[in-house]
Amino acid sequence: MPAARDVSVQLTVNGATRAATVPARTLLVHFLRDHLRLTGTHVGCDTTQCGACTVALDGVAVKSCTVLAAQADGHEVTTIEGLTSQPGTGQDASQDIGQDGGCGRLHAVQQAFQDEHALQCGYCTPGMVMAVRQLLADHPSPTEDEVRHALDGNICRCTGYHNIVAAALSAAKREG
Amino acid sequence: MFPIDFAYARARSLDEALDLLDEAAEAGQEAKLIAGGQSLLPMMKLRLAVPEVVIDIADLDELKRTGWTGSSHTIGALTTYRQLARQRYASRDGTPALVNGSAGLADEVPALGDALAVLADPQVRARGTVGGAVAHGDPAADLPAVLLALDAEVVIAARPGRHEHKPAPFDHIPRRPGPEPTVDRQTMLLDDFLQGIYATDLAEDEIITHVRFRKAGAGGSAYEKFPHPASHLPLAGVAVVVTFKSGPLTDADGRVTSLDDGSIAHAAIAVTGISPRPYRARAAEAVLKDAFPTADTLAAAAAQVARTPDGAELSLLGDQLASAPYRAHLAEVLTRRALSRAITRAGAASPIGGKP
Repeated sequence: MPAARDVSVQLTVNGATRAATVPARTLLVHFLRDHLRLTGTHVGCDTTQCGACTVALDGVAVKSCTVLAAQADGHEVTTIEGLTSQPGTGQDASQDIGQDGGCGRLHAVQQAFQDEHALQCGYCTPGMVMAVRQLLADHPSPTEDEVRHALDGNICRCTGYHNIVAAALSAAKREG
Repeated sequence: MFPIDFAYARARSLDEALDLLDEAAEAGQEAKLIAGGQSLLPMMKLRLAVPEVVIDIADLDELKRTGWTGSSHTIGALTTYRQLARQRYASRDGTPALVNGSAGLADEVPALGDALAVLADPQVRARGTVGGAVAHGDPAADLPAVLLALDAEVVIAARPGRHEHKPAPFDHIPRRPGPEPTVDRQTMLLDDFLQGIYATDLAEDEIITHVRFRKAGAGGSAYEKFPHPASHLPLAGVAVVVTFKSGPLTDADGRVTSLDDGSIAHAAIAVTGISPRPYRARAAEAVLKDAFPTADTLAAAAAQVARTPDGAELSLLGDQLASAPYRAHLAEVLTRRALSRAITRAGAASPIGGKP
């Protein structure tokens, strides 16, 4: 296959197959936000430091500002939107209407962020949630130290780390 | 922020990747290989790298093969930091196994585990690859320092007859013809491979396939770094591998002497972040050879960490983040810390224990 400036990509995003032809330089985060209108994934620093753009690629948290859409071709992506169970899918049906107002049920990590008030401006939140999801997948019962170390790649400009760490520990308890 | 326009191709085989490199060269275009892209993409976004062709090698299965023989480990270039840190030995039936009493590579070589826990951040470690860390030639990379202390070798694939690299002194894996006769593989020492700031011995038409190192003898290892708080890159980083004398020596008359007297057979010390390329601190290593690991000896060795074997001062990097003398100071302190941690670990791992 010769090198081309426009590439066809087909990936599974939050369970659905999405295909498009995009310029080769398109970053995964721009593909998600601009082509698929999944704007829950944020662009913070653009330089692989802040973690606001964290998504799961084949189930593992990565920074989508530092992955080409072309590299994700043939792979699976889960964004913050994909963490919430969809209403009417049969999944958690009893929870669909009620505390969530029929909008689907929050993931345990999202719920813990809400309960612990783990956000101020909210800009870093999607990335924080995706990073905490990864941490709990790897270490279901982390210590506070391990939580702080696992969030090395995520920056909160409001410096609201205290409640973010509390939310991670609370989610771990909830899931455990 | 995104890179300038470029053409992209994903190679399906090593052969095809080498063809794509040649095609770009024939068209007079600058080509770059991409695997994890965690160093290349940030540079492309800042327009510090402006390749016209980007060749994705992430699907090359041969570059994912990681394994070990009785004497050495071979790590596929596409192995991510995350995979390397989580690698566990398994029996044929998939159940966990111990190799040399270790559950996995990061367990067997603690310096690797140290570096893989503090290198960049978890998301970057999930994408960044071992081959990329070596190929990038970053003066402040963590992993190359550990690999350098392990006397690691780099396996390079290219079309036959194009380049001659300085061969590794012990090419301990028998050379067999590869799956493609049109691809030649050479093995060279990482120490010869690294040349300067983002400069290595890798030619434009070559691909790193594996990194290898020999299994360590009785001893311990450690990696210590002082990270810049924003970039996580080491302002200074020091990897050490300490081997103690061990085993019986039988002389011609059949007399057996135990060599295990608690003295150091060999210490390998590699420093990163303070000079144009990670280097082996041979002057400091010489102080430790055959020495007993007392605090004074470790301090005397650490004091030599920024010197050449003939006593001259190395030329060091200084910038707005840290001056050269400050980086040299950090390297000395980190050398002392890494040595005592490695020696403590060696004591814990030793069957007879009691090593200071």
